[in-house]
Amino acid sequence: MRAVFDQTLKAPLAILAVVASILTAAPASAQEKVFHHPIRTAGPRTMDPAYGTSVYDNMAASQVYETLLQYKYFVRPLELEPLLLAEMPTTSEDGRTYSFKLRDDVYFTDDPCFPGGKGRKLVTDDVFYSWKRLADPKYQLQAWPKLAGLIVGLDDFKEEQGARVDDGKAFDYAAPVKGFRKISDREFEVELTEPNRQFLWKIATFQLSVLPHEAVERYGDEINRRMVGSGPFKLKEWKPNVGMTFVKNPQYREMYYPTEFSDEAIERGWDLEEGSRLPLVDRVEYTFFVEDQPMWLEFKSGNIDAVQTPNSAFEEAFNPRNKRLRPEWRRKGIDYQPVALFDFIYRGFNMDDELVGGYTDEKKALRRAIALCMDWEELNNSLYDGIPIIYDGAIPPGIPGHPDNHTMSPNNRGPDLGRAREELKKAGYNVVNGKVTDLPPIELWTSRGTQQEKITELFQRNLAKVGISLNPRFVDFAELTKALDRSQASMFGLAWSSAYPDAEYNLQLFYGPNETPGPNQFNFKNDEYDALYEKIKYLEPGPERDAAYARMQEILVEYVPFFGSQARVRQWLVQPWVRNFKVTETFYNYNKYIDIDTDHPDYPG
Amino acid sequence: MWAYIFRKLLYNVPVYFGALLLVFLALRVQDPVYAYLGPEATGEEVERLRQDMGLDKPVVVQFGVYLSNVLTFDFDIPSWNQKGYTVGEILSRSWIPSLSITVPQIALSTVIGVLIALLSAYFRGRFIDRFLVIAAVIGMSISFLVFIVFGQFFLAALPQEEGWEFAPFAVQGYEHWIGVGGEEGWFLRPSVWAHYCLLPVLIGVVVSMGYDTRFYRAVMVEETGRDYITTATAKGATKPKIMFVHMLKNAMIPVVTRVMSTLPFVVVGSILLEMYFSIPGMGREIITAINARDFPVIQYFVAVFALIFIISVILTDVLYAVFDPRVRLS
Repeated sequence: MRAVFDQTLKAPLAILAVVASILTAAPASAQEKVFHHPIRTAGPRTMDPAYGTSVYDNMAASQVYETLLQYKYFVRPLELEPLLLAEMPTTSEDGRTYSFKLRDDVYFTDDPCFPGGKGRKLVTDDVFYSWKRLADPKYQLQAWPKLAGLIVGLDDFKEEQGARVDDGKAFDYAAPVKGFRKISDREFEVELTEPNRQFLWKIATFQLSVLPHEAVERYGDEINRRMVGSGPFKLKEWKPNVGMTFVKNPQYREMYYPTEFSDEAIERGWDLEEGSRLPLVDRVEYTFFVEDQPMWLEFKSGNIDAVQTPNSAFEEAFNPRNKRLRPEWRRKGIDYQPVALFDFIYRGFNMDDELVGGYTDEKKALRRAIALCMDWEELNNSLYDGIPIIYDGAIPPGIPGHPDNHTMSPNNRGPDLGRAREELKKAGYNVVNGKVTDLPPIELWTSRGTQQEKITELFQRNLAKVGISLNPRFVDFAELTKALDRSQASMFGLAWSSAYPDAEYNLQLFYGPNETPGPNQFNFKNDEYDALYEKIKYLEPGPERDAAYARMQEILVEYVPFFGSQARVRQWLVQPWVRNFKVTETFYNYNKYIDIDTDHPDYPG
Repeated sequence: MWAYIFRKLLYNVPVYFGALLLVFLALRVQDPVYAYLGPEATGEEVERLRQDMGLDKPVVVQFGVYLSNVLTFDFDIPSWNQKGYTVGEILSRSWIPSLSITVPQIALSTVIGVLIALLSAYFRGRFIDRFLVIAAVIGMSISFLVFIVFGQFFLAALPQEEGWEFAPFAVQGYEHWIGVGGEEGWFLRPSVWAHYCLLPVLIGVVVSMGYDTRFYRAVMVEETGRDYITTATAKGATKPKIMFVHMLKNAMIPVVTRVMSTLPFVVVGSILLEMYFSIPGMGREIITAINARDFPVIQYFVAVFALIFIISVILTDVLYAVFDPRVRLS
């Protein structure tokens, strides 16, 4: 086929070339190392961390702005390490006060916003200023939930300053916050309202990056597209709807390639660059794609260095039977990296519902019967090419507390129709010829969309095998969340994605005081569970915390407030000339570790 | 002439006013602030944005502000989705990329379409005519998307993937090829245009060719039956002279109508081409704004599109008179 096109297209292309190939854009010089990365959207909304919400905003901001802590790039499960800090923060005995010490060599890049255009040293006040911005109504409080209720006096500060703004006065960044205690330009303490280990994960999120007040004051709204940071790259150009170019920050402090590696990193040879100064590439080019086809073609042409395989191209790159990368792709040296997302996609029960809710053995048996009917393998294979991970419990893969091999024992995973019928009998229903005869239809609320309709059809078919009738209600997402907030839905389909790799983020979904309109949309209440949840919020990693996670998961399996946990897996492909790229979708400041082998025989130059 | 244009403009004032009112109301059927911020937004966030945008004011006041901004071309309204940019900035940066593909596309497809139609009419009923008609029908029957996908693969990606010597087209992307003053000054880089824009233009031409050829052929065929053609033939004029001198001018009215009816499209751009080739034109901007529920951009872009549409209708009427003296502007 290709040979035919080769023959037939060469002539017309030669003619077209006369018109079109007068000159083309000059390629990067042989010496320059450029990492080409796609972004599957029209681009980030903003470069300002205080406004940022999406992963695309994160991808842009993380190249220039830095946080106090960052994730260890090659260590799994994920751990934190200092970035702007000289060492990991220490905690007071009561777990409420954290002490921080900044590095002494962090400078903002030179910019006209500074006196004489010379970037100055990053100090304690910059941290407080940047975090206070999250409370400023000017930024629509987009990132405020990260700090809400967390730091002593910060909520009061937000209210006071909000009132000032409403009165037509300026937001006063100099006003004190009780929980922010400056010791020196390099040292400070933060007092929390209660012990909270997740605070450290939160300060590693890009919204809590540190930027200089001079830039915000000088550039105003322009700070959304102009960046003055301390990170490894500088923004050179942002072409809206087309792409972004970041170049190496020549003033970046001495930072070196990681020294801690997982077994996988050593096996893949990512430990070779130890000691190299960061960043390793000269330039990072982000290209925006709103359609998958051009992104895929650009990857195949070697114009971008890594790609999240689009669904439409899955069978071109992978054998659909064994899900392995096709031999011709392996021969080219393409590196395949599956990345499981921190997803918790599930079907939930309203525990306050008259029909499916409740805590008696009969009600537990009914919910278990429903869970046991579902054929997850069929769903996975028929609708998702068998890619997502089906798991037990509420803790997604990659997060400590996730069960080995994704499986708990006992569990409620179907299909097991025999057991389902037994559970229906235990629930007090009549089962005649394998089908329940006296169970009223159950209402399932779920989002609109072709995929949801297909899943629900499959679900209905599975349940019909034991005579359970499902009455689906397809609604807009906004309507669905409203219904959940009002406890209207008996059963519902929803998804939750963890912002940081701590099981607490998901386990909060079943904490009694979080009931609707809070995140506990199951309205699940269990004293033992609640007591354990309050404990894990400040427990250090270790056997005690692991045991608490395990017990909480057991409680959830026993009471069945949800079933069918599922996590998406992204299929990343990386070009053979890219070095040290451990793909992740949890954080995005990794470009500084990536290298490009410009001597690779297939490198397009 | 000027009186006619003025009168036409005057007649269209209520039409434009109605269009603006319709857009204004349609965008408020669902709360734009809630739609943008999503169900997880707090009441405080919703209220703040509503105040910032003046959406807490009475509807009449809001419409007055909208109308005043449109009439004074004051588009200094911040975009919700593209922080730090105003609607005016988005408009001013996106019109050139749009015109970069639509102007050459319309010019080429019109010229080629008319020529093919003349050829078809010249050989009416013979093999060439039938072949061209069948080709036009086939061209019309194939989806625009198919042309894009195949064109992008075979003409841009495959030559690069296979390392062919001739790989003149970019798979996607856009670089500034023309500067019209401003910060970058004046410049013209046709090679850059060819690299990024020629392929989408060619695809656009191929797609519109089927429709254009069929339409123009019908026009030409109808003209061949007119009395003046019979007269010219009787007077011994050659067939090429009849077609290219007499017939072509008379056939210009439907041609002008068709071209003018595509004028709004020239500005809006070819959305599909812009999406697939990553051309940062107005079509892509409006789709991005709709997806992101960027209320200010949608509201003011639609106002501009409506204005362009009305102007193109007026221009069509004026051009009728230029091509056909029988049409009187009075």
